[in-house]
Amino acid sequence: MTDYVDAGEAVPHKTLSATKGSAPATSDVNYERIQNARSEPENWLTYYGTYDGQRHSALDQINRENVKRLSPAWVFQAGSAGLHSGASTYSFESSPLVVEGVMYVSGPEGKLWAIDATTGEELWRYKHASPYDVSLCCGNVNRGVAVGHGKVYLYTLNAHLIALDAQTGDLVFDVVNGDVRAGESGTVAPLIVKDKVIVGSSGGEFGLRGHLDAFDAQTGERQWRCYTIPKPGEPGSETWPDDGEAWQRGGANCWVTPTYDPELELLYQGTGNPAPDFDGGVRPGDNLYTDSTIAVDVNTGEIRWHYQFTPHDLWDYDSTMENVLFDAPDGRKLLAHADKNGYFFVLDRTNGELVRVFPFVDRITWGEITPDGKVTPKVYPDEEGVPVHFWPGPAGGKEWTHMAYSPRTGLIYVPVQEVGATATRRRREFKESIPYWGAGVAVDLDDHYGFVAAIDPLTGEEKWRWRNEYPMCSSTLTTGGGLVFQGTPTGEFVALDEETGEKLWSFQCGSGHHSSPSTYSVDGRQYVAVPTGWGGWIEGFLPGLLGAAAGDALFVFALPEA
Amino acid sequence: MTATAGDRDTQLHEAGLDGQNRTALGRLLGTGNVGHAEEGSDGVMRATVRIPEDELIFDPSILVFPHGGEVELTLINDDKNTHCAVLPNNGDPKIIWLVNHSKGIARLNLGGPGTYYYGSTTGNDEGRGLTAALVFGGEVPDSAKIDRPPQPRP
Repeated sequence: MTDYVDAGEAVPHKTLSATKGSAPATSDVNYERIQNARSEPENWLTYYGTYDGQRHSALDQINRENVKRLSPAWVFQAGSAGLHSGASTYSFESSPLVVEGVMYVSGPEGKLWAIDATTGEELWRYKHASPYDVSLCCGNVNRGVAVGHGKVYLYTLNAHLIALDAQTGDLVFDVVNGDVRAGESGTVAPLIVKDKVIVGSSGGEFGLRGHLDAFDAQTGERQWRCYTIPKPGEPGSETWPDDGEAWQRGGANCWVTPTYDPELELLYQGTGNPAPDFDGGVRPGDNLYTDSTIAVDVNTGEIRWHYQFTPHDLWDYDSTMENVLFDAPDGRKLLAHADKNGYFFVLDRTNGELVRVFPFVDRITWGEITPDGKVTPKVYPDEEGVPVHFWPGPAGGKEWTHMAYSPRTGLIYVPVQEVGATATRRRREFKESIPYWGAGVAVDLDDHYGFVAAIDPLTGEEKWRWRNEYPMCSSTLTTGGGLVFQGTPTGEFVALDEETGEKLWSFQCGSGHHSSPSTYSVDGRQYVAVPTGWGGWIEGFLPGLLGAAAGDALFVFALPEA
Repeated sequence: MTATAGDRDTQLHEAGLDGQNRTALGRLLGTGNVGHAEEGSDGVMRATVRIPEDELIFDPSILVFPHGGEVELTLINDDKNTHCAVLPNNGDPKIIWLVNHSKGIARLNLGGPGTYYYGSTTGNDEGRGLTAALVFGGEVPDSAKIDRPPQPRP
């Protein structure tokens, strides 16, 4: 036999594509600029658009009168090939960021792209390799990136914080921040504050001890870690059994990006469920700081105050979802939070004092919360082997997908899920990396619906609702054009009138929405971008659509050019 | 239904699952040999993978590495057909085209612990058996671990 033919060396896949390899230089995105993000609505600089989490843009080129002419400007296909982690659960959950015409968006499976925001041309790509066997409680997903200090930051499925050069996509640093052998993962969009990058833990179904972390944005060195379950002797430890190990695996993960008040220098972080989710017998007590909003000093990582929405949770009612910051007409600094437990909370964000609580869903059977905040559990899985049905189910009256506030109307537009579930307590021993639920759970396959609710947070009044056959599982977006954008689980992307809830426009994207749309403008033309791709923890929030079409496309809409 | 217990290689062979076009059309994934990479003094972990004639399998089909890091694979196609390999790699997957009787190299960076799969993405090579695993052992750095006492594992 002759000598082997020289096959050479393996080359990066992207070299066999039309990817340009670099993005145009943009001016620096620094802390001052992100603080004032509202003043440059042509860009979407940070995860929620602004630190306050309002998900509102002042852009008004697309408005109630002309939205019926909204059309696709371009589509970007993320693509999926071969065996990859969470193959059955990948979902395009991101919120695209845009800086001066360059879009930065992450996808499932460790993918991140820089894209020309006007044409959809791929400028560069980066793919962090994700182990097939990493534990993913709730899907092969990533909710977005942070851009700033000349870099793009991504928190990967195997819990690495990576920083890339924003212009070239080249790796700047890669820091391992979580223990995949313990069932930890990373899905959250990082947040840049000052010289820091903030990320939190994912892995709520694996009995972790949750944490929120701050890193030096330039070097990747960790500056502080805030554990959300106290050790024995620390404040809050009295809410855990003092003779047990429950605190060591207590949960309270931080898998949704915090909001931030630059004046108070406080991060508002929602925390996840206690572990085991449904078996409270092994963790008597309120189990702080699970199911809470914690106000964390951004400089030190210390918890300044907390408010717990579901003490001693027995229904998997994470409170990780956003805390929207807004000010009352009298100037009082407030925070709004629509919890999985079906109640809408308004807190004083300076001290955590309850201002108002009211239900925002139709069906609540797990318990009751009085207007003064007293919590009374009513239905829960407390007897081994006995099924218990309750509303809302474990995905909650609202899942992680975000509501939006409009300063034009003073209303908050909430995507609502009406889905119940049955849990049957089944006690089990804790073992690292093995799901630790303490129950068998089946979410209802029928008797579900959803709506977008326009809620006045100052009164609790629901001004209107736009009802949908299926629960609403994606984030809302409000604009200066008087519009509320919302994606449906069956693929429609709709625009509603902010005043009436009337549907003014829709477009069928071909796969369900489980992401956060954003809007921006380039050269005077406004665009609306929405990732689509049905997936994630569908068995938890809408198993009735487990068989719906998958997808992984980013749609960008604009008015036709004159 | 009957179930068998005992030597797995024998079971797979008797069931016709360890070769091409026997019980199934292709070879059941994950049925090949297990190999171990060797770590050099430069810290690079090296191994050789071959594609034997008419077997449509990477051999070894399971490669074990002591920990995550830099990897250098020598890939040899001893088959009389053309194949390729698309391999996981931090930054971007890497591809190498392997014509009949060819030899090449792939340099990869992969984090551990964890398992990655790669395959020959031509025809349906992957379905027929040309799908293989790179398995990285080890632990994450102490700085990445949760501050708590050691916990039980399965």
